[in-house]
Amino acid sequence: MVAESDVITLQMECTLFFENNPYALETSTGMSKRLGRNANLIERALNRLTELSILEKNGQGTRAIYRYKTPYIQTEVDMNAYD
Amino acid sequence: MQKSEAAYTKTLKQPISTGIPGLDDILCGGIPPGGVVILEGEPGTGKTTIGMQFLVEGAIKHNEPGIYITFEELPEQIYDDMERFGWNLKDLERRNLLRVICIEPEILLEQMLEPNGLFEYMIKEIGCKRVVMDSISLFRLMSSEQEARTNVYTIRNIMRKHALTSFFIREYSEVEGMHIPFENYICDGIVRLSLKPLMEKYRKRTIEVLKMRGTRILEGEHTYKFVEDGVYIIPSLSMAEDKILVQETEVLSTGIHSLDELLMGGIPKGSVFMIDTNSKANYRYLLSSIYAQRIKDDDCTVTMMSGNTTLDMFADTIDLFGVSLRQAVDEGKAHFIEHYKRAVDSGLEKALIRVDDVENDEYANTLNDKLSPIFECEELCDKRWFIYYDLNTIISERGKEFVVKYFSEEISLWRALGITVMAHCNFSEIGTETASFLERTCNGVIRTWVDGNYQYLQVTKSPSGRVSAPHIVANISETPFVRLV
Repeated sequence: MVAESDVITLQMECTLFFENNPYALETSTGMSKRLGRNANLIERALNRLTELSILEKNGQGTRAIYRYKTPYIQTEVDMNAYD
Repeated sequence: MQKSEAAYTKTLKQPISTGIPGLDDILCGGIPPGGVVILEGEPGTGKTTIGMQFLVEGAIKHNEPGIYITFEELPEQIYDDMERFGWNLKDLERRNLLRVICIEPEILLEQMLEPNGLFEYMIKEIGCKRVVMDSISLFRLMSSEQEARTNVYTIRNIMRKHALTSFFIREYSEVEGMHIPFENYICDGIVRLSLKPLMEKYRKRTIEVLKMRGTRILEGEHTYKFVEDGVYIIPSLSMAEDKILVQETEVLSTGIHSLDELLMGGIPKGSVFMIDTNSKANYRYLLSSIYAQRIKDDDCTVTMMSGNTTLDMFADTIDLFGVSLRQAVDEGKAHFIEHYKRAVDSGLEKALIRVDDVENDEYANTLNDKLSPIFECEELCDKRWFIYYDLNTIISERGKEFVVKYFSEEISLWRALGITVMAHCNFSEIGTETASFLERTCNGVIRTWVDGNYQYLQVTKSPSGRVSAPHIVANISETPFVRLV
């Protein structure tokens, strides 16, 4: 039995990974190797992130590819536009 | 639809710039578009840097977006590493000019094969023109040799189909160099990076283009260095160029196509070139071609005759190049300085400036008195002038000391008048000091010598800074009777 907190930790690790590598295209086994974590747990975390619309999932099963849905977020706003 | 082989060959003819200083010179323009080039080297040779520089330069300077595909290295590491060269890769990604993708090789292949798969989606998304794949060595590790060959062949075809100019990075070591890898046959080009010993304690980085379909290359190893904005390659046999002469767009053909190529088009107008020959080398056709071409191009000429060639013999040789010396004389385009009391054909006598009885201290004034009215003649003053000067004759008739003093004075005068000069000398006979003085005085030096069973020619100094490799001088049956190979 896996504790919910462990899955949440993995979700954070996965999110951080995609934040730092915004155009990564990874399977759950690929992510398992990148992060050094159990593939089944990683798959759960990745599917959760997909449900939260943080990741996009292409395909099914072990060949499914996960990628970051919003690679870059606008961090600066031109205030002059609102004058 | 896959491009036909003919269409593919046609596109190969328009090289694209790599943007890496020096590499385009080595590739005579760049990589043929759609070409797939292996970039191989040992760890630490800069494969990733060169690959990324190719993409960054393409994105910024040519508006050609690119994708860097890494199988093992994480993009975040690459973003950090490349910052030292001032490349903000994330900013290029935001502007849709770059993607740094990490993916497993087998997943990439799956996606490449899939219609409208992620690979196609990404290249369409940014209008990708350039790709770097780091590294194809992994295809060997994940499958058998036969499967790896099929996979790399398939990927190459996909790159061509999408007209993606690509670098395939490959790890290389001397042990692997014992046999020829299959990729060498499949890909369009091979660029090898190496670390070589330098002065016992140091190492130098060298780059060599071993193969490149569809373009000429400067063969040999070229040194490169990491500088503040990336990799900088110094093509071998290159020196500082003479900006003033290089900017002068008018170049005079030598009449020998292969020699013009070595001289980047020909002899710049107003420059002084020296042909250095050893005693065995046959320079007759070389010099005759250069002279005949000047007459063909409607230039006016002054020629100093050598002791072993009479004017009649010279006329006969020039005739082989389809040029009538007598006609040129009649038109006032050919004049000759004669140091010997030799009889000449009456039709040529009028073009002779005889200096056989002129003492050294009177020589310069005498010659100027006779040449000035010719240069200033109303019909000819707007023409291009070309002077062929046989320094061997002056040295044998007037001595080395005279040449050192006189030649430098005359050269400065001719340069001021925009006259192009071709001097001829045998450096080995005049001593090192005089030879270096003459070499220094000239803008360019062409050496030709016999070694063993072949005659060679090399441009050892030129205003463009380009020094050529030695070429074999081959005899051919048609004009100009010589060809450099």
